[in-house]
Amino acid sequence: MSVDITPEGFADDGSYNLRLYVAGQTPKSLLAISNLKKLCEEHLAGRYRIEVVDLLVTPQLAAGDQIVALPTLIRTLPPPLKRVIGDLSNTEKVLVGLDIRRRDNL
Amino acid sequence: MDRSFSPPLSQAHFDDLLERLREAEETLDAIRHGEVDAVVVGGSSGQKVYTLENADRPYRVIIEQMREGAVTLSADGTILYCNERFADILGHARESLIGREVLHFVAPADTPVFAELMAHGPASGRSAELSLINADSVGVPVNFSVVDLDMGQDSARLLCGVVTDLTRSRQRSHELAAANARLAAEIDVRRRAEESLEVALDAAGMGGWDLDLAQGLIHGSKRFDEIFGREGTPGPWLVGELLARFLPEDRPAVQAGFEAARRVGSIEFELRIERLADGARRWIHVKGRVHRQQGRNGRLAGVVSDVTTRRMTEQQLRQAQKMEAIGQLTGGIAHDFNNLLMVIGGSMDMLEEHMPGDERSRRYFAAARQGVERGALLNRQLLAFSRRQDLRQEAVCIDDRVHSFQGLLERALGETITLQLVEPEARWLCTTDPHQLETAILNLAINARDAMPNGGTVSISTRRVVVDSERAQSVGAAAGNYVAVSIADTGEGMTPDVASKVFEPFFTTKAVGKGTGLGLSQVYGFVRQSDGFITIDSTPGQGTTMTLHFPLTDDPEQARAKDDAAVTLRGTGSVLVVEDDASVRDIAVRSLGDLGYTVFEASHAQSALDVVASGVGIDLVFSDVIMPGDIGGMELVQRLRRSHPAMALLLTSGYTGQAMADQPRPADVQLLAKPYTRATLSAAVDAALEKARARLRDPGKPGV
Repeated sequence: MSVDITPEGFADDGSYNLRLYVAGQTPKSLLAISNLKKLCEEHLAGRYRIEVVDLLVTPQLAAGDQIVALPTLIRTLPPPLKRVIGDLSNTEKVLVGLDIRRRDNL
Repeated sequence: MDRSFSPPLSQAHFDDLLERLREAEETLDAIRHGEVDAVVVGGSSGQKVYTLENADRPYRVIIEQMREGAVTLSADGTILYCNERFADILGHARESLIGREVLHFVAPADTPVFAELMAHGPASGRSAELSLINADSVGVPVNFSVVDLDMGQDSARLLCGVVTDLTRSRQRSHELAAANARLAAEIDVRRRAEESLEVALDAAGMGGWDLDLAQGLIHGSKRFDEIFGREGTPGPWLVGELLARFLPEDRPAVQAGFEAARRVGSIEFELRIERLADGARRWIHVKGRVHRQQGRNGRLAGVVSDVTTRRMTEQQLRQAQKMEAIGQLTGGIAHDFNNLLMVIGGSMDMLEEHMPGDERSRRYFAAARQGVERGALLNRQLLAFSRRQDLRQEAVCIDDRVHSFQGLLERALGETITLQLVEPEARWLCTTDPHQLETAILNLAINARDAMPNGGTVSISTRRVVVDSERAQSVGAAAGNYVAVSIADTGEGMTPDVASKVFEPFFTTKAVGKGTGLGLSQVYGFVRQSDGFITIDSTPGQGTTMTLHFPLTDDPEQARAKDDAAVTLRGTGSVLVVEDDASVRDIAVRSLGDLGYTVFEASHAQSALDVVASGVGIDLVFSDVIMPGDIGGMELVQRLRRSHPAMALLLTSGYTGQAMADQPRPADVQLLAKPYTRATLSAAVDAALEKARARLRDPGKPGV
């Protein structure tokens, strides 16, 4: 099961397609959803699509993106595939991980 | 993706590896730093998600917050986990419970129930009510529900339990039960009150009723139905159905009563109904009040009673009162009438001496004298009716009297009538005047004869009757024992209308000239004066029974001797006549003068005392009883008896009932009844003088 929480009026022109894998309503999962939503609104307003996948309900979907720990955020578009693990509370790390900001400090 | 080593590595391949390494490191890093709380584990049966510790916190919080006890048990009933609430229910610290067997806390009586609950059952939940023993050794009622926890085939069996404390709900149930019991008790009390009200109403002879104005239905008690004579059909009455029971002429009044009740709030009437069961006409008294329900007049409720007996008693009382009034009127007239007869009779006595002796004059004279005598008889009857006649009360055996004048009775009844004297059970005595009694029985016998022109039987019987207070009230006499003498005929009988009038003076059904209409009035007066009463039992065509009731006595007092004179006795001496009526006084003076006495006269008591005081020498004072002025005849003779013990005294009166009651006449003073003839006057004067002379001869003897 996946839930699309992309805002209305999204145009498919080089924007971000994000997929968040969670495990039911574990604290980190809840936190991750909350953080991601906030982050996208701040930095990718109008050019992102989010899909939340609950692996407690559909564990078989874990295989596709080789998910090992939850929550995990996957950038499916633009390529290449990017992956950020954790509750997404470190905004800087997420922005770098998703190539929204240059990886200067790494 | 090809993971085998194959030199040389391209730059792209290298970058890819580097990227993968970085991702792996980041994943490990995230796990190490606790940024994730769930991992995905691959296995033979596919992917599985395991949440890390604390990941189930929201569930735990819910479990800890809830008001139910939650517990995880091993298959053998060991407590592996419990929430705070579960520990609360048992009153133990939570830590001390983990690892203990839950069975330890189950009330001994409930162990079989618990064992069944724990037994491996269907996968779905199951529950039972049982008692857990808390730290204070008090049983806590709970609902214990368990469900098997599926941990996979290899794992040990676990059970999850939810324990609901039923103490509060049990308490509520008890409270509810108590409230129910209270309500039931209240209903019981009310029902009893209703029942006792009905019993009380019934005892009072009243029926209860309740009218629903909207529905037009009347609910009545059992007695209500009885009063209206409805049998065997219980249930409410329709208003119209009930209205139809009333006599047609009374119905408008009933309707008006109910109409008015809506306005004034109450109803009361006394009207006639025709009873359903036997068609009898009864008087009923209805009384009620409006129940106001939410401001509108919804119901009328009240009582009804059959007052026919009371109405009859009232009617009898009215009749008795009317008779009493007539009696008083008659008595007054008779008194004056006596004086008139006195004058006529006395004047004739004197005229007789100056009368020419021819046959014709004597015949006229005899006719006139007969007229006076008949007038006197009529007057005596009137006085008897008005109870102003003097009765000589004594103990009388009615049967002895009847037997003593049986011959007279048979002659009076004639040949076509059979006289039957019923032998009584005992020879009772009653208090009355024997001569008046004979007259009364003769009177009734003659009436009986006249009711049987074609012959029949008159039977006379006596019996003892006990009159209770209720009956005494209705007949206007005292309660107690009575001797009843019945004179029954087999004649025409009377209608109730005639029966109610027979005692009225001058009422007669006989042809003009055949009866005076005073016979039964005289009987009535005489019986009432004897403190008795009369009942009439008569049915047209079946004969009449008149029953006279006299008070029973067991004191066989001897009859007083009576004295009567038939011859004129001349005498000598001085007589003072005291009489307020000039004509009567004149007659008396002349009569006494003719008899040889020296006569003085006085018009009232004071003047008589003056004459006596003047010392003219009076042998006898002859005084009227009733006179105007301060001193009556009775007091006059009392005074003279004290001042002149040797003086002879004689009283006279038209009637003396009242005066006698006020002041008893001295035992040795005779009373001469008006109207008197010259003969009776002469005898009375002679006797009084003889008595005085006897006293002089033998002063020790008080009166003779």
